[in-house]
Amino acid sequence: MSLSDTATPSAGNPSGVPSGLPAEPPARKSSPSAVTKELIAKAGATRRRAGAKFKIRTGVICTLLVVVPIVLAAFLPLPDPNHQNLAQRLFPPLTEGHLFGTDQLGRDLLSRILHGGQISLTIGVLAVVVSGAIGIIFGAAAGYFGGKLDTVVSRLIEAQMSLPLLMMLLLVVALFGASIPVITFVIAIAQWPEVARLTRSMVLVEREKPYVSAARILGLHRVQILIQHVIPNVIKQATLVVLLLLAQAVLLESALAFLGAGPQRPFATWGRIISDGQDYLTTAWWLVTVPGLVIAVMVVGVNLLGDGLRDRPRRKKKEA
Amino acid sequence: MTKYILKRLGQGLLTVFLTVSTVFILVRLAPGDPAVAYAGPLATTEELAKVREQFGLDLPLIQQYWIFLQQLFTGDLGTSYSFQAPAIQVVLERMPYTLTLATASILLTAVVAIPLGVWMSRRPDTKKEFGVNVLTIAGQSMPDFWTGIMLLTFFAVLIPIFPASGFATWSALVLPTVTIAILQIALISRMVRREMTTNFAAPYLTVARSRGVRNSLLTWRYAMGNSAIPVFTALGTRFAAMLNGVVVVEVVFAWPGVGSLIVRALETRDYPLIVATVLITALLAVGVQLIIDLAYPLLDPRIRLGKAATA
Repeated sequence: MSLSDTATPSAGNPSGVPSGLPAEPPARKSSPSAVTKELIAKAGATRRRAGAKFKIRTGVICTLLVVVPIVLAAFLPLPDPNHQNLAQRLFPPLTEGHLFGTDQLGRDLLSRILHGGQISLTIGVLAVVVSGAIGIIFGAAAGYFGGKLDTVVSRLIEAQMSLPLLMMLLLVVALFGASIPVITFVIAIAQWPEVARLTRSMVLVEREKPYVSAARILGLHRVQILIQHVIPNVIKQATLVVLLLLAQAVLLESALAFLGAGPQRPFATWGRIISDGQDYLTTAWWLVTVPGLVIAVMVVGVNLLGDGLRDRPRRKKKEA
Repeated sequence: MTKYILKRLGQGLLTVFLTVSTVFILVRLAPGDPAVAYAGPLATTEELAKVREQFGLDLPLIQQYWIFLQQLFTGDLGTSYSFQAPAIQVVLERMPYTLTLATASILLTAVVAIPLGVWMSRRPDTKKEFGVNVLTIAGQSMPDFWTGIMLLTFFAVLIPIFPASGFATWSALVLPTVTIAILQIALISRMVRREMTTNFAAPYLTVARSRGVRNSLLTWRYAMGNSAIPVFTALGTRFAAMLNGVVVVEVVFAWPGVGSLIVRALETRDYPLIVATVLITALLAVGVQLIIDLAYPLLDPRIRLGKAATA
């Protein structure tokens, strides 16, 4: 595509050449263009960096917007989430004393969302920690040791990925009761293959690197090499995926709760609040809209953050 | 080729068998008595015993499993407690509804997500692309049951264009399909973009471009040709997953499919129905997976089945 650019300067003639190219502008030969390929690439990188920055910033804001009030729910001047007041049924949002309005039993919606959010978030974070730990351990071991262990882990991952996920989760929760530990466990089990698969593929690359052989020649034990040298090199990217899984865990929990397989005590979680509000769609729109928006804002925040962070290190590597 | 198909078929059937067995055992290990669910909380001990005997629930677990295995191979999984009809038949009656919804959703997803992903990959790092990119993040972040209820509120309650629930007319298909597709479009279009970007950066594309190949040909024939396999796999896998019942969306729209059936079966602890649902959906999912694998050589002539089974 740059054939003409290189051909013109070599001609060396200012003008008046009776060549068959009258359309060739004379300015082009002295300086083809100030915009080089490197500059275009740089501009792209700059824009990408700005995009990543925007995503991270927005992501943090959205996440904090939801998470901070939830964490502080106990200290905020809120009515009890389970306190019923039939005289104050179905108040619309922005009523005095009820920022998000009240539900069909006169309970404060904001308080319900924040207290329910504590449960949802606890489940999400715990599930992600458990699935992250299982995934990283199994994935790293499978990738590093290979052999039979790898076969077993890979088959397990494959088998689970082909299973009807939500159906199995529902089954287990419906059968063993919708308590917080059961739901946490179920979500963790649902999510570990994702982490394991990624960790495994990263460790497969990592174990061929010279530093691993060097460590082996030094006489380090294989397990020690894996834990002290290989895992620290992959953990950063693995935790990034775990962050994205947190968003999924929150969504999964809310879906389970929506289907009636969510924890009821001490507080109803987000999915449950929405499914309760469904019956009042026409009279009290806020009962469904507001909690859904809260979930969406938080999950969008976490996803943006994860996406932005993922875009960043790639850029750093190029610069280095 | 035949050997490959047989091998894959065997593996698939083994997966189905293990899944169904797991479910069979899980169901019986779990606390909760189907006899109580069936006869009602006011039933006397004798009545409960009679119900248990009728459904073979008083036998030891091993013996129940043996009977179950025999049933499995004769294709008769017993009578659904709550429907009083053969469990398999109850599930099969619901299957067309789920199949319709899943097919419509995956078609809509493919039609929108592939061009959208290509569009994004052709103008990387521009403001427009960034905007769409953020939109897709939003799309995959909204809980689908909530999107469903919102669509329902706007297009069935406030502006009654579409029916709110059930499947009486074809227009009832629109809202559930859109609900499912929003999430899937977000996921698939991002994937298409990723694949296409990788291919656009590949040396073979630069070579083709320097030979003067048209841009549209570069995109749709060169880059898309090489992105086809992963995109097709993703679409197929999503389709297979949908056959397992788009549980949440079916419940929101009271869609008479398998998803809403399993929720009901679990509530009533209808053992035969639970097992039958899992059996049929797992069989279908394995079948779809096999068809996806068999279609690879059509999409990419370099692939020969049996030799590049891992590709």
